[in-house]
Order: sequence, then structure tokens, then C-alpha cells
Amino acid sequence: MWVKLILALLFGLMIAGAVHFKQPPELEEIKSANNVSFRLLTWNIGYAELEDDTRAHDKDLPAVAEVILRADPDAVALQELTGAAQLNVLIGLLQSKYRGSVAQYGRGDRFEAILIKDAHATFMPVAAGGRYGLSASFRSATANVVLLSAHADAFNAARRRVYTEDLIDWAEARTQSADVFIAGDFNFELKAANETNVYTDNLKHDSESYSYILRNFRDLGRDAGDTAINDRRIDYIFGPTKLRQVGRTEVLRNAAVGRMDHWPLLVEVNL
Amino acid sequence: MLTLLKLELEKLFRAKSFYLSFIVLIGFVVLMLWGFYTYAARKTGGQAVEQFKYTYESKQYFNGLTFALYSVLFSFTLLLPIFVSMSAGSQIAGEACTGTLRMMCTRPISRASLVLAKFLVTALHAGLLLSFFIGLNLLVGLIFVGWGNLELYPGPLNLVDVPGKIMRDEALMRFAYAALSGTWALLVVAALALLCSVISDSPVQATVMTIAAYLMLYIVGRVEFFEHLRPYFFTTDMDFWRDVFKPDIPWQSLWQSACICGAYTTGLLLAAVVIFERKDIVT
Repeated sequence: MWVKLILALLFGLMIAGAVHFKQPPELEEIKSANNVSFRLLTWNIGYAELEDDTRAHDKDLPAVAEVILRADPDAVALQELTGAAQLNVLIGLLQSKYRGSVAQYGRGDRFEAILIKDAHATFMPVAAGGRYGLSASFRSATANVVLLSAHADAFNAARRRVYTEDLIDWAEARTQSADVFIAGDFNFELKAANETNVYTDNLKHDSESYSYILRNFRDLGRDAGDTAINDRRIDYIFGPTKLRQVGRTEVLRNAAVGRMDHWPLLVEVNL
Repeated sequence: MLTLLKLELEKLFRAKSFYLSFIVLIGFVVLMLWGFYTYAARKTGGQAVEQFKYTYESKQYFNGLTFALYSVLFSFTLLLPIFVSMSAGSQIAGEACTGTLRMMCTRPISRASLVLAKFLVTALHAGLLLSFFIGLNLLVGLIFVGWGNLELYPGPLNLVDVPGKIMRDEALMRFAYAALSGTWALLVVAALALLCSVISDSPVQATVMTIAAYLMLYIVGRVEFFEHLRPYFFTTDMDFWRDVFKPDIPWQSLWQSACICGAYTTGLLLAAVVIFERKDIVT
């Protein structure tokens, strides 16, 4: 009898312990929007793999412009545009509030672009891992800023790693003279739980690429959640580690139109 | 009760399956070592066969502690539960199968004490198995790879979101914690196997039933579509033992999962005792 009593008592104690140690639901941290001096947005406006043409579609540009106008970022990094003509249409839809450029280099059929409010911004292509990213240098209210728009290979983790390392080496060389932000679709697959194998070469490459970036940059959108369909967080905004204040970080999940498979990531910081 | 425990311990140490479990674990470590050597040889074109670390971005990343961590994490999910199921599954059903259970129950001991003694012996087996395995991995890691700090990357092993580091001495302490938390987690499987052992008269059937239930929940829990079901599976809570390897141990959630595992263990054990007390032993 005493064995059953002890077991029943232990069972009760364990249940009580589980209830006692249950974590209260996380209260959403309300971050002050005060003193926010700089707002950044990144968005891959291409389509999911199922489509014939997975690049951005012209018919979606009014919706893209509407999202940008509503979020009112100081700078926007875009990916998977078809070219300069598409960007010019978008700038027109943005009522010419932004200046922009497309990294129309290399053999690819889709290009990174940047939109900046600052009329004096300068743009420069950045060669990395056989591809081209695009950088923009401009002045915010308080600091010199360099923004990189990036899009790493979707199918090969080793190529993503080479691309990331080149891009970060380029960015690190500019951190002394400006606040450097890197925004874009890196396609990192870091959720090991989703892999059928416990440990894969791809996971190792992506893990090391991501860690390479975090040596000198901060993942500003880390708490914002998934940025693409199938519960993937593959779009990032990396910024200086010394940032004084990070305000709102949000994935705008109602923004996608058509067959887009990414949502825009918005980050507010105080430089 | 002490005499009963002593007798059960003697049986455990005389069983071939007890030593077989340790031999298989040694084989696993050898396989891990071989796997990492050939991986390094392949990745470095044969240039750095002797040092896995040259296949990594951070040369400090891969060392004996990392080797031990990978080995323990890889084996814990699928290998150790098999041995624990075997050990616990044969406790009552094994006696029934060999015809000794009826005789034991004629002795002046309560059936509940018998179940409890058998469970304690199984728990000891699980603890010894895990401690031996961790110790062996650390030893092999020290001899063949060399020690350093335990560096953790996001992605592989799914332990951290950002790169982290645990200093060597602290990391060794964490392995000691893992021996405790891991054993506690394995007790759920042990209790389930003991319950199956009470229900079934065949030790093979009891073991297979336990492993089948464990694997079923584990596999369904891994499928992304069924994510919402995960909180209801004991396999999800059993994973708490890995948290001791996080740079900042999330103590509150660790204690919560440990308590849930404890509730499963004691609940299953209580059911085993109740069923066994009412069981008509005809073998």
C-alpha cells in the first residue's frame, strides 16, 4: 500500500511542480516608437517556385508601392526585380519620394534594388560570390549610412556561404566610416528541426554563414518571426552591434499579393 | 525491500543484455569517430585527416567536447531508449516467460515492492548507460580530438539562436548535468516499458510495444504539419535534457519539463503497480 501512496504523492507533486514552473505567456514587448530616427524595409517581391516566372510581376507594383508608402521607411532593399524598367515604374508609383537603383549586372535574370529617400544617395554594385548585390551610401538625420541589398542562392548552401563571406568582408571594411546595414533574402535554412537528417552539410554551411555575419553585425529582425511561407525566416536585416536602440521590428504579413512567397520585414532603429 | 533490490541487482549484472548495451554504445562511438575522420578527409581532400576542426570556419569550434556533444545528442533519441526499453520490458514479462514470476509472488513480498525494485534497477541501468556513454565520449574526444571550450552555432543540434560559448570546465559540468537530466528523461521510457511488461507475458512484445509507441510519437512530433500535437507527446518533454547545453540554461522551462516527465514516470509506474496487483499470474 505504501508504494502506491508514495507513487501517488510523487505524481501529485510532479503535476504541481509542472504547474508551478509553467512560464507565463510572453507579454508582447511594447517598444517605444519615440526617438526612432531610421526605418528600414527589406522585401523579396518575387514569386514562389510554382510559377513560370518567379521574378517580381509588374501587376503587383501598385500593391508594393502602397505597402512602402504606408510603412514609410527611409530605405528599402528589394530583391528579384526584373530590371531597371520595373524599378522606374515603382518609383513613379511612389510619387517620386524615393530615388533608386538596380544591380543589373552578371548573368542572373533577377536583380537586387534599393530605394532611398535621401536625394543625395549614391549607389554602387557589390560583387560577391559570382553575383552582384547593391549598396547605397547616404546620410540619415544623424549618421552616414551604407545599406546593402542582398540575395543569396536559393538552392546551394555552399554558394550562399561564399556569397555571404564576400559580402560581409566588403561591409566590414566600411564599418569605420558609416553605420552599415545588410538587408535581403539570404535563404538560410537554420531550423534543424525541419531537416530529415539531424546534421547536414547544408545546415553546417548556413550555420557558419550566419555566425560569420554575427561576428560584427546584429540580427535586427530576429524576434519578428518567419518572413516567408512554410515557416521560414530567410529574410534578414543586419545592423551595427553598437546600435543604441532598436524599436519596432515587424514582418508585415498582410502585404504579400499574387503568388509572392515572402513578406516584408520592417525594422526601426535609433542611430 | 533492500534484499529485493540486492537480488534484482544481481540479476541485472548477470544478464548478457546488460553488457551488450555497453558494447553497442562503444561501437557507436567508434562509428562516430570513423564518420568524422572520413568527413574531414573528404572535405579537405585528404589534407587534414587527423583534425576535423579544419573543416570548420572557426578552428576552435570542433574539439573533444563538441565531439562528445554530437555523439550524445545523436544517440540519445533513438539508441538509448532501445536499451532502456529492453531492460525494463524484460523485468516482469521476462520472469513470466521463464516461469519464475509465479514463484516470486508466493514469497512474502508485496507485488508493489517487486515492481518498484525492478523499476529502480532499470533506472540504475539507464543512469549507468548514459554516464558511461558520456564518459566514453569525453575520453575519446580528449584522446583523439583534444579539448577546448564548447562553442555552439545556430542550426546544427538546434540548441542556440545565436553563436554561443561555454568554457571548458563549465562545459564538463554541463555533461554531468546531462547525465542526470538524460537519465530522468529516459525514466519515462523505462516506466512505459515496465507497464507493457506487466501487461504482456512476453518480454519481446513488451519491448516492441514500448519502442513502437515511442517512435510513433517521436516521428509524428517531428512532422511539421502536426506541430500542434507536439505538446501532448511525452517525447516532446523528454527533450528537456538537452537544455543543459544552452549557454544560459532556461531553468524554469527545464524544471517544468522535468516535472512533466516525472508525472509521466510516476503515473505509468502507478498504473503498472495497480495492474500487477490485480493480475492473475498463471505462468
